[in-house]
Amino acid sequence: MRIELTVNERKVMLDVPPSETLLTSLRERLHLTGAKEACVEGECGACTVLLNGRPVDSCIYPTAASSETQITTVEGLRGTDGKLSPLQQAFVDHFAVQCGFCTPGLLMTLSALLANNPDPNRAEIQQAIVGNLCRCTGYVQVVEAVEAVVREAQR
Amino acid sequence: MTTEIGQSSVRSDAVTKTTGSAMFGTDIALPGMLHGRLLRSPVPAGRIVKLDLSQVVAAPGVHGVSTAADVPDRRSGLVLLDAPLFASDFVRYEGEPIAAVVAETRELANQALEFAVLEIEEIPSVTDIEAALAPGAPLVHPDWESFDTSPGMAWPRSGNVVAESFADPEGVEEAFEKAAYVVEDRFEAGRQYQAYMEPRMAIAEFDGQRFTIHVAHQFPYNVRDRVAGALDLSPSQIRVIGHHIGGGFGAKLDTGLEPYAALLARQVGRPVRLANDRPEDLLTCQCRENAVIKIRTAVSKDGALLARDVEVLMDSGAHATDIPFLTSIPMHVFGSLYRIGPVRIKTRAIYTNTAPTGAFRGVSGTHLYFALERHMDHIANELGLDRLKYRRSSLQSDGAQLPTGQVLNDAGILSKAFDAIERKAPWAELGIGPNRGVGVAACMWLTNPMPGSVTLKLNSDGTLGVLTAATENGSGAVATGVRQIAAEEFGLSADKVIVTMPDTDAAAFDAGSQGSRTTHIVGRAIHEAAVQVRARIFETAASLLEAAVEDLELADGAVVVVGTPTTRIPLADIAAAAQAAGGPISESGSYTTPMPSVNPTCASGLLFPAFPTPTYHVHVAEVEVDPVTGGIRVLRYLVAQEVGRAINPQAIRGQIQGGVAQGLGYALWENLWIDEGRYVQRTFEAYGLPLATDIPEIEIVLLEHPDPAGPYGAKGVAEPPIIPVAAAIGNAVADAIGISINAVPITPERVLEALVDLR
Repeated sequence: MRIELTVNERKVMLDVPPSETLLTSLRERLHLTGAKEACVEGECGACTVLLNGRPVDSCIYPTAASSETQITTVEGLRGTDGKLSPLQQAFVDHFAVQCGFCTPGLLMTLSALLANNPDPNRAEIQQAIVGNLCRCTGYVQVVEAVEAVVREAQR
Repeated sequence: MTTEIGQSSVRSDAVTKTTGSAMFGTDIALPGMLHGRLLRSPVPAGRIVKLDLSQVVAAPGVHGVSTAADVPDRRSGLVLLDAPLFASDFVRYEGEPIAAVVAETRELANQALEFAVLEIEEIPSVTDIEAALAPGAPLVHPDWESFDTSPGMAWPRSGNVVAESFADPEGVEEAFEKAAYVVEDRFEAGRQYQAYMEPRMAIAEFDGQRFTIHVAHQFPYNVRDRVAGALDLSPSQIRVIGHHIGGGFGAKLDTGLEPYAALLARQVGRPVRLANDRPEDLLTCQCRENAVIKIRTAVSKDGALLARDVEVLMDSGAHATDIPFLTSIPMHVFGSLYRIGPVRIKTRAIYTNTAPTGAFRGVSGTHLYFALERHMDHIANELGLDRLKYRRSSLQSDGAQLPTGQVLNDAGILSKAFDAIERKAPWAELGIGPNRGVGVAACMWLTNPMPGSVTLKLNSDGTLGVLTAATENGSGAVATGVRQIAAEEFGLSADKVIVTMPDTDAAAFDAGSQGSRTTHIVGRAIHEAAVQVRARIFETAASLLEAAVEDLELADGAVVVVGTPTTRIPLADIAAAAQAAGGPISESGSYTTPMPSVNPTCASGLLFPAFPTPTYHVHVAEVEVDPVTGGIRVLRYLVAQEVGRAINPQAIRGQIQGGVAQGLGYALWENLWIDEGRYVQRTFEAYGLPLATDIPEIEIVLLEHPDPAGPYGAKGVAEPPIIPVAAAIGNAVADAIGISINAVPITPERVLEALVDLR
C-alpha cells in the first residue's frame, strides 16, 4: 500500500504491507529508532508517538491507517534551533531519565498533555502516564520534571 | 576549586536519551543482518519423540537451522555446568530452546518455525520446591552427578537439590530447651520478573576467525566467557561490544541469546540478530527465585534472642545459573541487625521443571528480610512489646559478628538510621485510624567486591578519557558516579570526562553492574590510575613551568603553582607536551575489595562467604487497607539509607525512589504465578507492573559514613532500596488488619482471605 504522511514536519511516502505497524515503518523504513518496541501489545507506551497531536501506541497502530496524518516522534521534539524542548530539558535536569528506554514514550505522552493542559496538577500528570511503564524511576522524578516545566511557563 | 563530589551533575547520557539518538541494543542494525528465532519447548517436561525441521529449512527466506546435533555435546553454566544449548532428548522447562532458525526477517523466521514438526511425550514433572524434595519425586536431571563445576568450585548437592549450605553451630538445641518463648513462622515469596523495558537481544558477527557480539548487557566479560563455554571457544576469540541498556536489574548478567546469535552467525556467515518478544522474554527470564522460609527463634523472658533455626528453600528452576551463590545469603541475613545467639541455617536450592531463576536486584534479600523482619514483629508481639522499641533495644552495635564470623565494624550506623526516621516521622504518630497500620523494617547489605579496572588518558584538548568495561545499566553509576569521581581526581568538571562504552577487546576485565559495585569499585580503580596520571601531569608541568612538583596543584583544568595562581598551564598543553616528549599520558588502575575474614568452617557450601563494605538501612511504611476490596494504599513511605558518601544526591534519590517502587511491586502485586509448571501471566498487561498512580513520593534521609577504602567514601547505593520494602509493607498490613499475612505478594485476594478467616 502506498501511504503519504508527514513525519516530524517532513512529507514521506511509504509502500507498506497492510499489516505493518507504524512503529515498524518508523524504525525500519525511516530509521527513527527513538520510539521503542517493548511489548507489542499497546501496554507499555515505549512506542508512543503523536498522531495529529494525539498519543498513540505505534506498535499496534497500522501504518495503513495513518495516511495523510501528522506524526511526531521524539526526534521531532527539538526546536528548529536544535535546542531541547522545555520538557526534554526538564527531563535532563530533574533526573527523569535512568535507563532511558521508556523516555521517548513518556516525552511524547507528556508533550501531548502539556499541549492540551498547560497547568496539570500532580494527579493529572500521574494519570496521563498510566499507559507508560517505567521500571527504573518509580515515576516521581518524571512527574517533577513536568511540574518544573509548568512552573517555568508560569513565571 | 569547585568539587564534583556531592553535586547533582547531570547524567552524561541524559541528552541523547531524551532526543532519541541514544542507541540501545535493539536499535543496532548491521548491513546484511539476518534474524534468528528459537523453537522453544511448549511443555515443562517431556521426551522429544520427533523433531523434523526439513520443512523449516525449505521455508521462504530461511538461511539455516541449528539443533543440538550442530553444537558441541557439552553443558555449560555460570558455576555448575548443567545447561545444554539445545534440548536434544528431554525438555526440562517451558521455553527451553530446542532449535534455532535464521531467516531474512523476523517475520519469515517466525513463519518458518510454524513448519517445525515437534512431538514431545510429556513425562512426570516437579514444579513445586517442596514436592521436589519428597521421596520418589521425579528428578529434573537424572544425570545430575555427571555435571562438572567451574574450576575450584565445590558444594554439597544431590538429586533435585542443586546446592546446599548448612551451618550448625553449637548451642542451638540447648538454647531452645531453656527458652521462655519459641516463636515460629513460615513465609512464602513469589517469583518476580525484572521487567526491564528493553527485551533481551544479541547480534553476532563472525569474520571467519573471531566473533563480535553486540549486546545491551550488564556484564560483557561474562558474555565473552559464557559464549566461549557454550561453544567450546577460547574467550579471546570473542569480542563483546556494549550499547545502551534498557534496564537489566540482574537479568542481563548471565547469557541469554548471545550463544545462539554467535552459532548462527558462524553458520551463515552473516550478522545475526536475536531479540525476544515480550512473552518469550517473560517466559524465559531468570527471574527472582520463589522461596519458602521456615524460621524458629528461642527467646528469653526478657526478650533476648537466644538462638535461631532457619530453613530456606529456593526455587532454582531447571538450571543452576547463579543460584548456588545465593544459598550463602541467609548466612549474612539471619544473624544480622539484632544481637542473637547461635543460628542454625540450612539453605537448599531446588531444581524444578520451571524456567531457571537467577539474579534480581537485592538477590534473595527481599524474601529473606521479609522473613526476618516479619518474624521480629511476631516476637515483639509475643513479648507484648512495642515493635520499634524492641528492635531498637536489640540492635547490634559496632563490632558485632555475623554467623560467618565476619565483624561488622560499623553496625551502630543502624541506630542512627532509626533516629533519622524518628525525627522525620515519629513512630507514635503513624498508622493511626481505622484500617491503617505502620511497619518498620531494616536491612544490612553488601557492596559487591568483584574486580574492575580503568585506563585513564589525558586527551590533547585537556579532557580526560576513561576506558572501562563497566556498564551503565541506567542507575547512573557510570553516567554520574564514575564520571564525577574521575573529574574530581583532576579538578575538572564532569562534562570534561568521557567514559567509553564497554568493549572487551579494549578494556580490561570488569565484573559488570551488579551488587551496587560500579561506583565503589570502578571509582577506586580510577583513583589508583589517577595517582599515576597526576604524577606524569606534574612531572611534565614542572619542567614546562620550571617549578618543583611539590609546588604544583590541579585546578579548573590546569596545573597552577601554589600561591601564584597566574602561573598556570592548561591540561591541554601538558597533554601535548607529554605526548611529544615521553609519549601520551595514559595509565591504568585496578581494584577489588579484599574479602572480610570469616570462619571457613562456619558452614558447608558457603560459596559467597562474606558481605564486604556493608551499608545499613531502615524503611517505614504507613498503609491503609480497604476491607471491602482487600486493596492496600501506601500513605507514607520513609527511607533512611547509609551510602558512605553521596557522590550525586539526585541520582541516589532516583535509585531509592525506583528501588522502592520495585519493592512495592514485589510486596503487593508482582508474581509469576505457576500452574503445573507454566506461568499464568505471560504479558506485561497480565503481570501488572506498578504505575505512576501507584507509587507515593518516598521520603528519604541519606546518612553519610564515608568508607576509608573510598572512592571519596562512597559505598554501594542502588540495590538496597528494594530489599526491606516487602517486610515494611507486610508489617504495616499486619498492624492494620491484626492478621499476619506471611506471603508476598500481599494481593487483595490474600487480604480478603485473611479477613474472611478472621470472621
